[in-house]
Amino acid sequence: MPAETNSKPNEEMLLAIINNYPGENRYILSIMQDMQKQFNYLPRQGLEMIALHVDSPFSQVYSMATFYKAFSLVPKGRINFKVCDGTACHIKGSNVIIDQIYKHLGIRPGETTPDGEFSLETVNCIGACALAPAVLANDRVHPKVTSAGIVEIIKSYGGHVDASSK
Amino acid sequence: MRIIIDEKPVEVEPGITILEAARQNGIDIPTLCYHEAFGGQGMCRMCMVEVKNGTSSRLVASCTYPISEEIEVRTSTPAIARIRRNIIGLLYRRAPNSEFMRQWYEKYEQPQSRLSPDVEESCILCRLCVKACEEMGSSAIAAVFRGTEKRIGTPYDDAATACIGCGACAQICPTGAIAMTESEDRRTIWNREFALVRCQKCGRPVGTGEQLEYIASKGGSALESGLCQVCRKKQAAVRVSEFYR
Repeated sequence: MPAETNSKPNEEMLLAIINNYPGENRYILSIMQDMQKQFNYLPRQGLEMIALHVDSPFSQVYSMATFYKAFSLVPKGRINFKVCDGTACHIKGSNVIIDQIYKHLGIRPGETTPDGEFSLETVNCIGACALAPAVLANDRVHPKVTSAGIVEIIKSYGGHVDASSK
Repeated sequence: MRIIIDEKPVEVEPGITILEAARQNGIDIPTLCYHEAFGGQGMCRMCMVEVKNGTSSRLVASCTYPISEEIEVRTSTPAIARIRRNIIGLLYRRAPNSEFMRQWYEKYEQPQSRLSPDVEESCILCRLCVKACEEMGSSAIAAVFRGTEKRIGTPYDDAATACIGCGACAQICPTGAIAMTESEDRRTIWNREFALVRCQKCGRPVGTGEQLEYIASKGGSALESGLCQVCRKKQAAVRVSEFYR
């Protein structure tokens, strides 16, 4: 199982990523992709440093970072749920899973719980259509998830499930 | 170079856009995001025209289409009319409170629609403000997020650090979507407050402290006299008249 926590970004780590690229506009996206890969989100400090590095306005860099769905501006949780919403999973009821997660953890796709424990996103297809509907918790696949099943999964990762709501 | 616009042969300089060529020859093409100072942005698509080159014809945005061949242009066809009507119909519902959009809306007859207007919004995302800010040299604002979420904003919606409070964005905004308030000695814009400098003679606002500092750093000398544009002009006129007496 992969590491549950992502390394916390600091200036040194950010510089290490940025300095792999020449200070030109066309490398903004590549730098962002590397940052997203390492930290699972784009820290504000990182974006500011990119702007400085390529000598572009901060607003421009921020505009790009918010444009692409592949980038997140908020840190992901300790457990990042990726609910597959590909065709097969969609038909098999991935929306029920998303609703259940919202009911119990109060987060919608793209959001993180305030305690930083869980985050949720939808992905297009994880190639596990035979196991639909599938959910990834970090990199672990949970197959054929039911409405009750997702509650058990949340519990198994230490989530407090609100018993009063169904 | 000779091209044909709406069946009228016109002589144009190669390289200028269709929009410029049309306007030079008194043919009006409607635009929302175009400003003479910035050139075409190709954002609003109101200026779509039909370009015929030989036997093929296609729709292009005239504000960003440089003329390089002897083409034939039509500025109003049924297809173009439909495009414009759709654009205005949608943008009006985005900015129903603005007089500007209402005027466009009345000009372009609209079919019945179930779309309800967004009464909270005034911005039509023409990006003139972004362009003005960029030309000013601050680039404090940009179009952020995407799709239905897209809007004009500062990074993280914070008080704009790069902003100099010049108000160029609010001034150029056609729909009055940018909130700028002024009190006796303060101007508030993009979540940030600026000290307002007033003309020493007439009291009209000259600009913000940051703005004047910025201008000075660019080699200007806006506040040497502490006077506004109007008073400076008057002063210069007096000086000239004395000189020639």
